[in-house]
Amino acid sequence: MLKTRIIPCLDVIKNKVVKGVNFRNIRVMGNAVEMAKYYSLSGADELCMLDINASYQKRKTFIKTVESIAKVINIPLTVGGGVSDLSDITDLLNAGADKVSINSAAVKNPKLIRQASLRHGSQCIVVAIDGKRHKDKMRVVIKGGREITKNELISWAKKVQSLGAGEILMTSMDTDGVQNGFDSNMLKKVTSNVNIPVIASGGVGSLEHFYLGHLTRSTGLLAASVFHSRKYKIKTVKKYLINKGVPVRL
Amino acid sequence: MKKKVIGLIDGQSGNIGSITKAIKDIIKGRPYQLKIIKSHFNYSSFDKIILPGQGAYATLMSNLKRFKIIKPLKKYLENNSSYLGICVGMQILSNQGYEDKITKGLGIINGDIKKFRNKKLIIPHMGWNTINLNKVDTIITNSFDKRDFYFVHSYIFQNIKKSDVLAFTLYGQKFPSIVKKGNIYGVQFHPEKSHKHGLNLIKNYILKS
Repeated sequence: MLKTRIIPCLDVIKNKVVKGVNFRNIRVMGNAVEMAKYYSLSGADELCMLDINASYQKRKTFIKTVESIAKVINIPLTVGGGVSDLSDITDLLNAGADKVSINSAAVKNPKLIRQASLRHGSQCIVVAIDGKRHKDKMRVVIKGGREITKNELISWAKKVQSLGAGEILMTSMDTDGVQNGFDSNMLKKVTSNVNIPVIASGGVGSLEHFYLGHLTRSTGLLAASVFHSRKYKIKTVKKYLINKGVPVRL
Repeated sequence: MKKKVIGLIDGQSGNIGSITKAIKDIIKGRPYQLKIIKSHFNYSSFDKIILPGQGAYATLMSNLKRFKIIKPLKKYLENNSSYLGICVGMQILSNQGYEDKITKGLGIINGDIKKFRNKKLIIPHMGWNTINLNKVDTIITNSFDKRDFYFVHSYIFQNIKKSDVLAFTLYGQKFPSIVKKGNIYGVQFHPEKSHKHGLNLIKNYILKS
C-alpha cells in the first residue's frame, strides 16, 4: 500500500534554515545541511527546501547548499524558490535535486511547465500553488500572498496537470503560519479535481492536523515549524498516524 | 588482484548523482572500480552494468541509440551478463513500451510496459510502497520482504511471465516491482532514494553477484 509521505520543509537563505513570516522577524533555526541530514536519518519520507530569498548574489551559496544536502541524504529532495526559467531547473537538477518546484514563474508563463516536463519528465516537475480566498472565490496568489492573480484556484490546478506537472505542492495562504491546521476545504477541492499527487502545506500545529491532512486525500503532508522547533519528532507523527490507521513508512 | 569493473550508464534520463554516490560509498576500499558509460563501450570489459532511468521509455531508448550505447548493451545482456536496471532502466528490458507511442525495447524479458489500468488512481504512483517477494536469491534476500521503497512511475510491466517476477507491489493492482532473468535484474523503484534498504539492495547487487 502506498504510504502517506511526511515531508519536512526547509526555508533556506544561503545555507541557513530560517523561520519568518513574509520576510519579517526572520530567525535562524539551524544549518541547512545538518538539519537535512537529521531529518533523512530520523524517518522523513522526502525533503523539501525552498530558497526564500532567491536573490542573485545569494543563489550561488544556495545551490552549493543543495549540492551538499544531496550528498548526505538518500531520500528524494524537492527544491524550489525563485525558479524562473528552464536553466534554473536544469541547474537545480544538476545540483542533485530530484524534483524542482515552480511557483510564480509558472503563473506568469504557464508554458514553462510543459517545456520543463517535456525536457526532464513530469516526475520531477512540481508546481507550487499558493491559494487564498478573495471575494468568496479561491484564487491563486503570488509573492507570498501579497499579489492576487486572476487565476481561479481549481481551474489553475487542472491546467498545471494538463500542462504536465507531476505533482502539486498546495499551500493555503489563509492557514499558512497560523498552526491551526491545514486548509481541509481548499485541499479537498484540489484533490477531487486533479489526479496527480497533491502535497498539503500550510498550517500544521498539532498531531491531529496531520491526520486531518491525510483525510483530504493529499498523499504528502508538509510541515516546518513543528519539526524545526522540535515540538514533534517525525517518528512521533508517524506513530500517531499508524494508530489512526493511516499507512506510513516506519 | 584485478579489480571488477562496474559500468554506470548515463542515458541522460534523470540525474545520476545519487546512484553514483551510493556506488562509490559501497566500493570504497574494495576491489572494484566505477566507470561512467556515456557512449559506445566494449561490453566484454565490464563485470556489472547499472542503468538508472527516469522519465519516458521512448526518450531513454532514443538517447541510448543516439549515444551508440544500445548495440553493446544488447550484446552484453544477450550474454546474460550482470545487470541492474532501475525504473525506466528496468522497463526497457521489455519488448515494447506504450508511453506516448509504441517504442520497441531491448526484448530481454518478455512483456510490455503499459499504464496502470485503474483510471481513478493518483498518477504517477509516487512515494513509498511495500515490496512482496515471490522468491529470494543471493541479492534479493528475505530481509527485503515487506520493506518500503520509493517509487515514481506511471507505467508498469505487464504480460510478464510469473517466473520472471521476483517481487510485486500493490497499487490499484498487483504489478512487478522486481524482475529477474538469469543475471539480469530490474527494479521499478529507486533504491538510490530508498534510504537504508535501498542502499542494502545496491550493496548486495554489487558485492554478492
